[in-house]
Amino acid sequence: MNLPVPVPFTPAAPAELSIALAVSALLFGLGIVGFLSRRNMIIMFLCTELMFQGAALAMIAFARQYMDVSGQVFVIFILTVAAAEAALALALVVLLYRCRETLNSEAWSDLGEGGA
Amino acid sequence: MVPILYYAACAVASVGLLLLIKPRGSRRRVGVSILGLAGVAWILVLAARSATADAPGLVGVGCMALCAFVAIAAAVRVITHPRPVFSALYFVLVVVSSAAMYVLLSAEFVAFSLIIVYAGAILITYLFVLMLAQQAPGDTQGADAIGYDRIPREPAGAVFAGFVIVAALGGSIFSPAPAGGNVLDQRAAIRQGWMDLATMPKFLLARARTVDPTVTALAPRVAGAEGTPSIEPQIDGSARVMVLRAGAPTAIALSLPPSLLPDNTSRVGMALVTRFPVSLELAGVILLMAMLGAVVLARRQIELADDERRAHAGLPRHAEPPVEGAP
Repeated sequence: MNLPVPVPFTPAAPAELSIALAVSALLFGLGIVGFLSRRNMIIMFLCTELMFQGAALAMIAFARQYMDVSGQVFVIFILTVAAAEAALALALVVLLYRCRETLNSEAWSDLGEGGA
Repeated sequence: MVPILYYAACAVASVGLLLLIKPRGSRRRVGVSILGLAGVAWILVLAARSATADAPGLVGVGCMALCAFVAIAAAVRVITHPRPVFSALYFVLVVVSSAAMYVLLSAEFVAFSLIIVYAGAILITYLFVLMLAQQAPGDTQGADAIGYDRIPREPAGAVFAGFVIVAALGGSIFSPAPAGGNVLDQRAAIRQGWMDLATMPKFLLARARTVDPTVTALAPRVAGAEGTPSIEPQIDGSARVMVLRAGAPTAIALSLPPSLLPDNTSRVGMALVTRFPVSLELAGVILLMAMLGAVVLARRQIELADDERRAHAGLPRHAEPPVEGAP
């Protein structure tokens, strides 16, 4: 087990892995709490990015644990999807803002034709 | 035993978060923040203690805990700060501290691309949209804009949902890791590392020359044929590669020490182009589609009468709508 190999080819210290997993769970939970409790649409999308961060951190931690770079490659794809999501979500937010001139998501709580 | 302590720590952190989300006076905020951060620290300590069977690298674990603490505290500020621009700036702090954790977990390439892509591109886009959508100073909606950012929606339910999810996810932290799996994983990783090097013949030749400067070329697997060089990983982490030397007619075996294994960035690059090439192309397609979609969405004009728009926003109309049948 104690081979003289470079650091990426040795398993992580167990405490490091546990802390990284705890942080990823907490970031994901905080993202959900923020998404449910904030009313500002842009902040709601920012909270989904917080959840992306939690998931990506878990990927990196397991890539370290199993000494396999697939997890890191997956994080690169997560970054791609996050960028695409940010572009589309912000375009939608701009569109919605032009309709009602407010970022309050409560303004969209009724889906009727008149919105009354 | 440990999961119950963990659930208790989650509950303490949840109560602290709930009290933080509700708008209160500033003096009470300090005590409440201490309560929430104590809960988070308790979770982190439990996580660290659950796995200290081996001798821990104290410096690494300490740095990790520090980054973890900064990331969590900044994330709490993201979801509780009443001003959206400050929320976005605290998110940059989350990104930077998680990039530091990536470096500690020896994922350097992803760490810096995270900072460049997230903090540099995505967050700047968020800031631009936030500023575009800011209320003008003389706008009658100014008070409302502050109001809906300050008053949370269903904070108790949201925090309870977060508590349930974190408590459920945390079970994975305390489940014991499979014993003996790491040796096989490590052997597989080292073998993959040498095989990655074999697909980069010039890189491998340069590394072989650092061991023996008289090496002129790598011997192909089949004599006289082009192709991947012959490399054989050994049980001690080194590898034997067949090379040709100046003046020698036949190939001889050269032993490469483990310190010549490819670094992390090379491994990620090799994995991207050899194991996931289709995904890489699809990622490009996704980005192109997202760009086109964003352009199409943001260009659309909304045709609404000014009065209708004001009515949708909950403002009084300029004039009463015409009543049908009235004279």
